[in-house]
Amino acid sequence: MNFNIFQDIFAKFEEISNNYKRENQYFDILYDSISSIIIFKTPTSEDISINSKKAGIVARTFTGTWNEIGIQENEDLDIFQKKLPKVTKKGDLISEFEAWSMNKEIQPRIDPKLIPIEEKLEKVRSIFNFIQNFDTRILKTKVKYLETLMTRIFVNNEGSQLRQVLPHIRVYITPVAKEGRKTDFDHFTVGGMKGFEIFEEITDIKLEELAKNSIEMLDAEKAPNGNFPIILDPNMTGLVAHESFGHGLEADQIIRERSYLKDKKNQKVASDICAIYDTPSLENKSGSYFFDDEGIRAGKNALVENGILRNFIYDRRTASLLNALPQGNGRRENYVHTIHPRMSNTYFEPGDYEIDEMISEIKKGVILVEGYFGMEDPLGGGCQCTSRKGYLIENGEKVKLLKRIALSGQVLDLFQNIDAISKDDKNFYCGTCGKGYEDLVPVSSGGPYLRIKKALISPG
Amino acid sequence: MVNESIALIEKSLISQNIQDYEIFLEEKQSFETIFLKDAVNNEREAKDLEYFIRILNQKEKKTGIGVVRGNSLDSKQIEKNVEYCIQLSKTTLGPKYYFPSKRSIPNVNTADQKIIQDPISLKRDLSEKLILEIRQTPNVQPTFGRFRIHINYGYLKNSNGVDLKSLKTYFFIEFTLKAQKNGMISEYWPLIYIKERNQLDFKQRIATWAKYAKDTLIAKPPMPDNNAIVIFHPHLLKNAINPVIDFHSSGKAFHEKLSTYMIDEKVGSDKLTIYDDGLLEGTLNTNGWDGEGNACQRTAIIKDGIFINRLYDQKYALLEKVSSTGNGRRDENGIVYNGITNLEILSGDVPLEEMIGNIKSGYFIINCAWLNPGEISGSFGTEIRNGYYIKDGKFQNPIKGGNLSGNVLKMMSNCEYISKEREYSSNTLFPYIAFSGLTISY
Repeated sequence: MNFNIFQDIFAKFEEISNNYKRENQYFDILYDSISSIIIFKTPTSEDISINSKKAGIVARTFTGTWNEIGIQENEDLDIFQKKLPKVTKKGDLISEFEAWSMNKEIQPRIDPKLIPIEEKLEKVRSIFNFIQNFDTRILKTKVKYLETLMTRIFVNNEGSQLRQVLPHIRVYITPVAKEGRKTDFDHFTVGGMKGFEIFEEITDIKLEELAKNSIEMLDAEKAPNGNFPIILDPNMTGLVAHESFGHGLEADQIIRERSYLKDKKNQKVASDICAIYDTPSLENKSGSYFFDDEGIRAGKNALVENGILRNFIYDRRTASLLNALPQGNGRRENYVHTIHPRMSNTYFEPGDYEIDEMISEIKKGVILVEGYFGMEDPLGGGCQCTSRKGYLIENGEKVKLLKRIALSGQVLDLFQNIDAISKDDKNFYCGTCGKGYEDLVPVSSGGPYLRIKKALISPG
Repeated sequence: MVNESIALIEKSLISQNIQDYEIFLEEKQSFETIFLKDAVNNEREAKDLEYFIRILNQKEKKTGIGVVRGNSLDSKQIEKNVEYCIQLSKTTLGPKYYFPSKRSIPNVNTADQKIIQDPISLKRDLSEKLILEIRQTPNVQPTFGRFRIHINYGYLKNSNGVDLKSLKTYFFIEFTLKAQKNGMISEYWPLIYIKERNQLDFKQRIATWAKYAKDTLIAKPPMPDNNAIVIFHPHLLKNAINPVIDFHSSGKAFHEKLSTYMIDEKVGSDKLTIYDDGLLEGTLNTNGWDGEGNACQRTAIIKDGIFINRLYDQKYALLEKVSSTGNGRRDENGIVYNGITNLEILSGDVPLEEMIGNIKSGYFIINCAWLNPGEISGSFGTEIRNGYYIKDGKFQNPIKGGNLSGNVLKMMSNCEYISKEREYSSNTLFPYIAFSGLTISY
């Protein structure tokens, strides 16, 4: 079925939903539509791909277990009634929530829909040309512009009717430098729930710095391996909060008995100075939204306060099983993918140190700069987070630029060893999070600088 | 339905007088059971259709390419998509490019008819067998699992007479097996795409996974070593080799002067031979044709340690004035990129057991957190999740934790042993390889 206006969708979904009585079973149905523009420029490519609209519908019911069907928009909606079972008296197997309504469209300051594609391409070309022509050692510049507009329309048999339209833009810039046989790069990503004004954040000063950093990486040295005092920059702080800690708090891992944090609620998991939150209701971040894909209002989840673990991260099912209040973390990639409890915007709160003070107190250590990638270990509580680069600290000063650095060890040891947090405002970095290696959702993470007394690092 | 969809799109292209066009359409179905511990928690089905239209705008020495993606089959939306695509082809400017012409395509069977006929019943039967096997395995408990069947239909048609179809089936398994004793706890967490039904082999697979989970219970941290010899499990080897070979063997990296591989140069040990094989039976990316309609083939990349062939898609083949090797892949946005299909490393002459027996002190590593090497530099550092310390030719103790670091480009020249045994893992058929010169830190 193709819909003309969202009111048609509400009406049709309500009609389908009415076939499943809440006292008998829980039922919800979600319309998911995404349109996107991707521009990718390198010295040998200039690709633009437009997704004018890709839409689908997913409906599911809970009768003690889930049954779920996802189809594309033009399919016959009768399939839901044919394939999703109807039962009686199983409605109380999952907690009920009060019905609510919402219809919200984020209006960016400069709406990208009003900008011609030629102007978008020109912006990308101009960034590309600036960096590519900056120095002959810049062999290849990659610039990627990604603009998406996501619409989610949700109806359930509790009476909720919700709609949100969320625009996102990201720009990735990577200059690859080469000299002799040495090749390396730095990169810069900016993004969030924003409009075309995002280009105001990509100044010539920023681009010049990026190009210089890429060239400097050619002479960066291999990181040492072993245990050292370390400092994480705000990007790495966010990566560690998300990958190493946050995934272990996702409550599906708790009910699976697959989390090292399962029995740690209201216990000390980090040094006293640590406070960590996951907040989908933050404005204009990559992981922000008004309601999750189960119709739960986005809230603010205090994960750690004063070093004490306060909450897990719930979807409807896990909140129901663990008698908790969900904060809107039931998310799916799209109508083809299923729901899990997922993070949104995950961050450390600032502390009271100056970054210079944190560095000056280290005799020999390392700063890890730019979170590059990380991997969860929910059961083992291990940590693997890799930075794009770093600096060696000797006698309280940054003395050498280092190549990729892998941070590993036990997360709880790492967090207990946090002895200083900078007073910098929280910085957020956009990213994409997978559950294992799939089910990708947009997120952000960040915080201030963290200092850890002792941690295991190696070349990354 | 699909033929009608293609006809609708083609009609719109022709009505707007488009000379150079291509339609790529994929219809994907998946059928999944998700387990919570050893009980079914979610039964899912999903169907997804998507098409990609490419239009070329030929200029004197350049070509503009428009790419549009959508799933609406509404004729007005298709017309709008074609209009977008025309606009994009006039806006972009890239190297000269043509769509491939009609050619002979190898006939490969990539679909299991039993899956096509009744995927739901087969999924139910197989997921029941899988969970039964796990329940019967002593001293491990599943914490969660996913078992999925995929059916993918692919269609490619262009204005040069290419008109191709494909049908592919495969499986996905993700399971976590947990072992616990005396307050200690450990797991093995495999995620794997499996091409053929006869490769599922639940009995052997679960027994092996359970052993890894149980052995990790008594794992110790590894001992630091700056010149360690490490045997890579085929699955870990895939994570190390694929991104680096994908980059350095591509025509794209060569054209952009970023590949460190030069033809006829020695890049690996004498015993190392690697093929890219788009026709390899039992691997995930097998197909008769690539993402542009060129024929897939078997190409020796490295033979006896010598780099002998690059992999080309249509674009970089045109730029370098060579023939495509069938390595035009498609990303999720319909953009064609130059990449590997399936990789095969030829077997060595040493049985795995003998290989382990030859090592005085070293490591056998099955699984790391995420190896993810830099594709250009080849360097990596990753936490060890499951493995064994080898002493005097025997497994001394399981290991967990600590870091394995090294450089894939250097490792290729440091192959000490290559096993006779090989294993399929997604798009690879790899042996076990022992590499020297790696760093273990703790």
